[in-house]
Amino acid sequence: MLKALIARLRQGFRTGAFPTKAGPNLPPDFRGRPALDAGLTTDDLARAKAVCPVADALGHDAGGAFLDMGRCTFCGRCAEACPGKIRFTKEYRLGVFTREALVVRAGEAPYEPPRQTNPEACALRQSFQLREVSAGGCAACELDANVLGTLAWDMGRFGIRFVASPRHADAIYLTGPVSPNMQRALEKTYAAAPEPKFLIAAGACAISGGLYAHGTLPAVPALFIPGCPPHPATTLEALLRFTGRETFATTNASRLSSSLSS
Amino acid sequence: MIETHAFESAEQAQAFLQTLGGYAEPPAVAPLKGEAAHEVAVGPVHAGVIEPGHFRFQCVGENVYNLQIFLGYQHRGVEDAIVQADGNLPRQIALAETCAGDTSIAAATAFAEIIEARDGLRVSARDHALRRLLLELERIANHVGDLGALAGDVAFLPTASFCGRIRGDYLNLTALVCGNRFGRNAVVPGGLRVALTDETRTKILAGLRAAKRDLDAALKLMFESPSVCDRLDGTGVVPKDVAAQLGLVGVARRASDELNGDVLARALIRRKEIDEAHEVVFGLLEEESLWAKDNGQRTMDSGEGPHTANASRDEPRSENSGWAGAASAAPFTAVVATVAAWRGPLVHAAVFDTHGAMRRYKIVDPSAHNWQGLAWALRGEQISNFPICNKSFNLSYCGTDR
Repeated sequence: MLKALIARLRQGFRTGAFPTKAGPNLPPDFRGRPALDAGLTTDDLARAKAVCPVADALGHDAGGAFLDMGRCTFCGRCAEACPGKIRFTKEYRLGVFTREALVVRAGEAPYEPPRQTNPEACALRQSFQLREVSAGGCAACELDANVLGTLAWDMGRFGIRFVASPRHADAIYLTGPVSPNMQRALEKTYAAAPEPKFLIAAGACAISGGLYAHGTLPAVPALFIPGCPPHPATTLEALLRFTGRETFATTNASRLSSSLSS
Repeated sequence: MIETHAFESAEQAQAFLQTLGGYAEPPAVAPLKGEAAHEVAVGPVHAGVIEPGHFRFQCVGENVYNLQIFLGYQHRGVEDAIVQADGNLPRQIALAETCAGDTSIAAATAFAEIIEARDGLRVSARDHALRRLLLELERIANHVGDLGALAGDVAFLPTASFCGRIRGDYLNLTALVCGNRFGRNAVVPGGLRVALTDETRTKILAGLRAAKRDLDAALKLMFESPSVCDRLDGTGVVPKDVAAQLGLVGVARRASDELNGDVLARALIRRKEIDEAHEVVFGLLEEESLWAKDNGQRTMDSGEGPHTANASRDEPRSENSGWAGAASAAPFTAVVATVAAWRGPLVHAAVFDTHGAMRRYKIVDPSAHNWQGLAWALRGEQISNFPICNKSFNLSYCGTDR
């Protein structure tokens, strides 16, 4: 017991300042929300598409050139192929509430993450219980979701927990592209959660299949967390904003976005 | 490690790939009979944040008579997808990396080595060192996480808490090099897309020293706690001869060969491998001559040409053959790459035709060899010992299912 106390004193208090007191500590090469220059030509786009590991992450439609964060693995190769025209910003607040909001357009206005207006989601601000379903992915999303439970991130202080049973859950936290052999297990797990319930799609695979074929989702996700895998800071910020909570990151949004774009 | 084998027909090459092994589901065991016999079925959706698999415990009274492990829930066709993506290196690497997320660096290295053998690319000493550095960081991070989880499973919370955080410290060191905590998007055929600047190297050295100090204290606490050691000692034993017969590899094999093959042995081997990995990493980082000439050169698999920059070809690619390096005139050539991943040897193998086009890809995750070790470890144990037995192996479902 004494040894444990001494070790605890030596290790110190190690819960990070994010998200209550400071923004996250991101690596220098962190690739966050992409930005497409208005001057992106079809030639540029073709060059970027040629090196993109994912089909249809980049494209062109009536609205102009786009990059779909729901498919993107954030590898950065398109930015290498089109220097100056495609770049990855340090914006880590990537969680959105609709599939369309994951599509980044060329030359669009500065980004502000959406605020939660759904009262049912806001009602969960004191206690938000998640049941994780791993369905055919590579387990990186699962590992970086698990990390939020460690004392470095301490998701529990916000009343957010991964629970053992869907019966106890407010939301199903889905990772993986939903392989054929997990299709039925996912449906049954989702059905076992009591109403009202939400589906959260975390990672490119869960959102769009990513590199793989996409299975059928049991419902339309209410929260999309893009990434391959999403950074824990992205996930935690998204979960808090989804339940209508303000964090340092959202209250200091303007200050933060100015420091991010520099 | 790279091996090449020449074959006259596709069937021969296919037969060779099968000799590399893989997971084979054990034959179904008849239900037990008798008053004390019962079965407990678990999964595919488990209580924790873990991957899907179905376990069936055939019990007699309190004890497990036999554990049947049913996998395949994670199957998504990684190997076929890699073959179909032939010609699109970024996609192939991404697929290899996502075979098992916790083994991304080892997988990318194995894939890169295969393409390097096909194209005769030479990798610079610096890039070899940088790959090794990332690989050892991957090993340390995973072992730390597993030891912490093991502590958590026996309710020894100090080490569980410390290691959960320290594992993150090591992942963040990996992210310092390449921007991704799992080392994704870094290794490419011919080298790496990232360089190691002196500034980053200094930061990593400082970070490693701090993390290792915290880690040593956390592990000392656990391994010097009589209650923890008593709980792990003698639990889930796989004797040496059984380990050999089952063909176990990696940590599990070492634990049975060098120690007595119980949960404590597998934990101690991990601790040993953590120390060994640190020696390698410090040795690499402090080897000034290795990095002195580093001017931030990166290898690109995008932009102009498939791979340029500091990768140099042994000889120019000939006109009518896809083979430049380990050249082969045979109709089919199998290239087998083995990488010392953290769970054990990770084997990637590709069959190319005479034009260098990929015809077949096979991945043998070290986990594939070890599931039967886990099943054996549980024989005669109580079901309540399953979590610590499972954690001491920590096998990859997605790596096995592919």
